[in-house]
Amino acid sequence: MRGGSMRRSLAVVWWVVMVFLYLPLGVVVLYSFNSVNSAATFAHFSLRWYHRLFSNPQIIEAFWHSLLLALISSMIAVVLGTLIGYGMYRHRGRRLGWLIALIYLPIVMPDIVFGISEMTFFVRFNQLTGLLGPGLGTMIIAHVTFEIPFVALIVYSRFVGMDATLFEASKDLYAGPVRRVCHFIIPAIKPALISAFFLSFTLSIDDFVISFFTSGPESTTLPIYIWGAIRKGVSPEINAIATLMIGAVAIAALLSLALSRRRSASRQ
Amino acid sequence: MSSGVPRALRETRHLLWTTLPAALWIVIFLILPSLYLVSMAFMTNGPYGQPQLPLSLEAFHQLAGFGFLGWSPGNLYTLLRSLWQTVLSTTMVVVLAYPLAYYITTCRQKWRPIMLLAVVVPSWTNQVIRAFGWMNLLAPDTWLSELAVRLGFIPEHLGLFPSSFAVTLGLIYNFLPFMVLPLYAAFEKLDMSLLEAARDLYASPVRAFLAAVVPQTLPGLLAGIVLVAIPAFGMYVIPELLGGGRSMMIGNLVAAQFAEGSNWPLGAAGSILMLIATLVGIVLLRRLGRRFGGGEEVVI
Repeated sequence: MRGGSMRRSLAVVWWVVMVFLYLPLGVVVLYSFNSVNSAATFAHFSLRWYHRLFSNPQIIEAFWHSLLLALISSMIAVVLGTLIGYGMYRHRGRRLGWLIALIYLPIVMPDIVFGISEMTFFVRFNQLTGLLGPGLGTMIIAHVTFEIPFVALIVYSRFVGMDATLFEASKDLYAGPVRRVCHFIIPAIKPALISAFFLSFTLSIDDFVISFFTSGPESTTLPIYIWGAIRKGVSPEINAIATLMIGAVAIAALLSLALSRRRSASRQ
Repeated sequence: MSSGVPRALRETRHLLWTTLPAALWIVIFLILPSLYLVSMAFMTNGPYGQPQLPLSLEAFHQLAGFGFLGWSPGNLYTLLRSLWQTVLSTTMVVVLAYPLAYYITTCRQKWRPIMLLAVVVPSWTNQVIRAFGWMNLLAPDTWLSELAVRLGFIPEHLGLFPSSFAVTLGLIYNFLPFMVLPLYAAFEKLDMSLLEAARDLYASPVRAFLAAVVPQTLPGLLAGIVLVAIPAFGMYVIPELLGGGRSMMIGNLVAAQFAEGSNWPLGAAGSILMLIATLVGIVLLRRLGRRFGGGEEVVI
């Protein structure tokens, strides 16, 4: 457009927003190295909160719960989501409107309503049968439920992007359906399966509300632990845990950048 | 292969075994639970907070503010506050995201993915941590609060948090990327020749912009508004952490009925309200999307 002043004011907006976006995270990181427990003053550099963090068994346990929950739920969701994604693609000529509505439901439902529905359902089910008491099991079920749609949509769009004649060719090449799945379909959608798994994993690690309502006393995850510590206002290690989690996100961001660089490089 | 089975039957069987496991999972673990929750809204609250028969509309009465002591406006205020916070934060997000998304498209090709990533990365961190970051920044005696005291916005020794202001800020922070991404997609497809044509026809810069640029970005804008407004209305974490008791939103009202307050039917009635709000938002988008064309593809 008219170059100069307009672009310069846009650049100002950009930098203001960047400060706005990274200031709260920066403050958390900064105060995790604070030698005193205060949000107002920074005394001097210290690693004492990290020492306390790694000697706190509750935090270590919460970390393992988060990891286990994300791993197991993502594996189940990838299997179920891939199946339904493939089914939706293979039979896309049919009227599958109800199925698509079903798939979108977990995405559009407000997470608080989602979490509370699951909680009341599990509580009632537990009263009636004694099964599915609140814990890692109920959390896994709930997480799989909100991960399935994302897997299904990723896998479905991968199939749509493929050359349909490949399917015909694979029918001629491989005799049985089992061999066709192992030698053709799974290798062909491998990138989609990997990104679906990582997205599910991230969604699970990131979730607080649904975990909060479906968890039991023995299945505290990291976000739930942090939440509790903030509410009680007693735990100065929060800054340190939060910093480690921000660090994990930063690494993930760099990885995704490197991957997209490599992909665009290989395209050229 | 089972060549004896007719092809149509075989296809149906294939459809069933691929789609049924996930579909059943969602039906059993989401649809049944939500139906159970919805049905609870029509039951009576028992002495220990458990729903019981007889069927009644008591919960909706309570939701509208009628209690033992007559009518009180508390719940109505909560509802209005949720709407107001949604409108305010969505508007602010549009105001920030619009120039931002445009700016990214004017930058060099190789910088754009990095810039988009820079906008999105903060939202990858856990939302509890993000809210905690703002608590740290806005607490009493921090430099931001000191500044606000000096400027006379708040009385001495108070912080900017907890407050409705902090909730709005938290909502904007949380949802900005949701608006930037669809807007960026819209700007990237922008046909600049229309703008030049408008300028050639002696339109003022503002008119040219309104006539040639804004309509083209409308689908992205609509998608962004829905992606922001629907989850903002039902937000739980941000008002819970950044707002005090007087900044509660509908999600907090609902959640409270399942915790300390323990009035499941009332909470269920609130959930129905949230579901209806979500549905209205989606239907609105589909309508508008059809009118302006291409709005739907961008959503999710």
